[in-house]
Amino acid sequence: MLRVTSNMMNAQLLLNLNRNARNMNDTQLQLATGRKLNKPSDDPVGITYSLRYRSELSANSQYQENVDDAISWLEFNDTVLMQTGDVIQRLRELSVQGANGTNSQEALNSINAEVKQLKEQLIDIANSQFKGKYIFNGQQYDVQPYQFPTGPDGTLDTSTASSIVTDDGLLNYAVGDSVQLPINITGNEVFGGQDGDNIFAVIDNISTALVSGDTSEVSSQLGNIDTRYNKLLAVQAEVGAKSNRIELMKNRLSDLEVNLTDLQAKTEDGDYAELLTQSKIQENIYNASLSVGAKIIQNSLVDFIR
Amino acid sequence: MTSTFHSIETARRSLVTQTAALNTTGHNIANANTEGYTRQSVKMAAARPIEAYGFSNSTSPGQLGTGVEFGSIERIRETFLDDQFRGENSSLGSWTIQSDTLDKLESIFNEPSETGISTVLDNFWKSWSDLSKNPEDSTARKIVVQTSQSMADALNYMSRQLDNLDTDLATNISVKATEINGYLSSIADLNESIFRIESMGDKANDLRDQRDLMTDKLSKIININVSRTDSGYNISLGGQQLVQGFAASSVSSDSLAEAYGDGVTGDLKSGEVYGMIDSSKRYVADYKTQLNNMANTIATGAVEITLPKGSVMPAGTILTNDASIIQADGTTVTLAAGDAMPPGATLNADVKTTVNGLNGLHQLGYTLDGSLNPGKPLFTITGDGSTITAGNITFNPEIAANTDLLATSLRTTGTGASEKVVKGNNTLALLIANQHSGIFTAPTGIKGTPNTFYKTMVGQLGVQSQEATRQTENSNYLVQQVDARRQSVSGVSLDEEMSNMLVFQHAYSAAARFMTTYDEMLDKLINATGTVGR
Repeated sequence: MLRVTSNMMNAQLLLNLNRNARNMNDTQLQLATGRKLNKPSDDPVGITYSLRYRSELSANSQYQENVDDAISWLEFNDTVLMQTGDVIQRLRELSVQGANGTNSQEALNSINAEVKQLKEQLIDIANSQFKGKYIFNGQQYDVQPYQFPTGPDGTLDTSTASSIVTDDGLLNYAVGDSVQLPINITGNEVFGGQDGDNIFAVIDNISTALVSGDTSEVSSQLGNIDTRYNKLLAVQAEVGAKSNRIELMKNRLSDLEVNLTDLQAKTEDGDYAELLTQSKIQENIYNASLSVGAKIIQNSLVDFIR
Repeated sequence: MTSTFHSIETARRSLVTQTAALNTTGHNIANANTEGYTRQSVKMAAARPIEAYGFSNSTSPGQLGTGVEFGSIERIRETFLDDQFRGENSSLGSWTIQSDTLDKLESIFNEPSETGISTVLDNFWKSWSDLSKNPEDSTARKIVVQTSQSMADALNYMSRQLDNLDTDLATNISVKATEINGYLSSIADLNESIFRIESMGDKANDLRDQRDLMTDKLSKIININVSRTDSGYNISLGGQQLVQGFAASSVSSDSLAEAYGDGVTGDLKSGEVYGMIDSSKRYVADYKTQLNNMANTIATGAVEITLPKGSVMPAGTILTNDASIIQADGTTVTLAAGDAMPPGATLNADVKTTVNGLNGLHQLGYTLDGSLNPGKPLFTITGDGSTITAGNITFNPEIAANTDLLATSLRTTGTGASEKVVKGNNTLALLIANQHSGIFTAPTGIKGTPNTFYKTMVGQLGVQSQEATRQTENSNYLVQQVDARRQSVSGVSLDEEMSNMLVFQHAYSAAARFMTTYDEMLDKLINATGTVGR
């Protein structure tokens, strides 16, 4: 039969108290951090998932930032294209007016004055900057695309506008794992490069015709205005389509974020209800072992011998 | 015929023996809480009875008892339990150290957290992605420099901590060697003392307790075999004799490392020292190697990338696949794999090529400093050494000093002297940012993304640490169990001692009363008889 000594009981008691205290400590740590995964050994499989979710979430938040930046670019593109459209519409109205043979040369001159203003405005638009970048000069956005020398009369000599070639480099933004989206459109796409309907060339032609009172030439430019306008609409549609795509991307990224956060929470987070219950149980057990301890230590035969 | 005073002698022997028993009880009670103490008991035996010698037997029947004697004071102990205890204690020692080391490694890795390597890595990739949106922006460049430096710093710091852990372990081994030598010479001394005392017929109980306690303690540090001989305990570690009789040999860090051997076939198989050497050689060394590999792989490990059509690379760049290029003069030719890129050539189609890590990738591109020089390696080595490790990896100080030296562009415009880098081209920045999911080949041949390499390490650490904790708990439980069995045999029970005390006390009183009774008898005989007629 096993002899039991008070030292054995003490040792056993200490062992149990220690074990209970350790369990309590573990639960307290989980309660305090709100996480059941506090170090790799808590859940070796979980930790690898946890690290993956964390880095995917980090990449995701970066993609979301990139998407937001891309959206603001595209929105700005859209605004600028609308302005361009308005100018071309006005140009068409003026051309229709100027093509009418009943106009006096004076009237044509005043129309020409406005046409010239429109050109200035288009050049302003073509030199639009977004966050300090010339949006119509591709990857060379640090260089103003429509730059002109000062003419003999002290104003800018914009006669070369139609021959300017903008940079066709694409500004790619990473908006997903190996998904890249070019967010810029080039000046030549919008205003026409070497095409016959280059808007600046058209304006120059109209101007010249108006000055010389050649109304039929003005009228013949209407076709070019229309093709340019249609091309502009096509570009606008493309920007719209890109915006839609990127909105979808944005939604997908935020869905992914929810999913990843959910998965991360499942791997890392503690269940408070469960933890609190556990903590309460462990506290009770600990208290019980303490009071049992107090009792077994008290009595021995010594207490009963006179 | 018995002597007149026979029973006085009997009573005296009883008094002496019960006193001895009481003294021993007192000794037991006094040592109830002494570590390693074994309860002692007085072995009583009835003294040899009288048989008168002579030509004939005494006429009185039977043998006349002569009281009680104690032959010896014995320790109550089972050597089998000692051996069992020492075996379990040894593995407890080794597992305790191993789980302790792994615990420390876990706090070095510090995962999951906002400050561990994995966060640092994520920030690094993020900063490149940010830079790709604004390649000319000096703030974005500074941030890349910062995140790259903190990545290198984190790797350096971790590597240093692993080194420190290794140094701590080495120091602890030599401290333990000193401790072992102390125990060995004490045991040899005790062997001698016990031999001397016991050769005169006594029992050196308390010295034996001490010797067993020392042996117990020694068993936690190294695995030992104890053989009991006439000249005391002979202690050996595997095939090595450490204590032989009265002579002890000594151990050192080196001799212990030698005994560890390859950790499997050596003499040293468990105990704290085994745990320390094992922790250092297996865990710390392994994680250091893996960390070094990871740092080296990120910087220089082979990774395949796709260079998009239209890219321009510095003259002399070498691609690992055939590429169709448009030369400066406008002709399209195929550049064979391994041939140097001519100046001013543009890629005519996407081409896959293998580069040596981020260093190799960065060197494909152009910097912002106005020159047409290729980028410099992103990561370099501090101090000596030819291989990048976690300990020596550093972000290229030249780039840190001049952020324009970060290469982000794969395009130039103009030809000849007017050729200049297109600042807004972000192809290279995008390529680098994308490498967070790039499959790198480590020097060991293992393939994976940088994050995978790290994840694998942390996962492995988790498994090892969990296992070590479980084993420690198990051994601890077993040691407690065996010790309880031992205590059950050898431990002092106060209840038992108290009841013994009562027994001995009563026996003493009764013996004294017997002596009084005999005294009265003799008094009667001597003083109250023969007075007739007085």
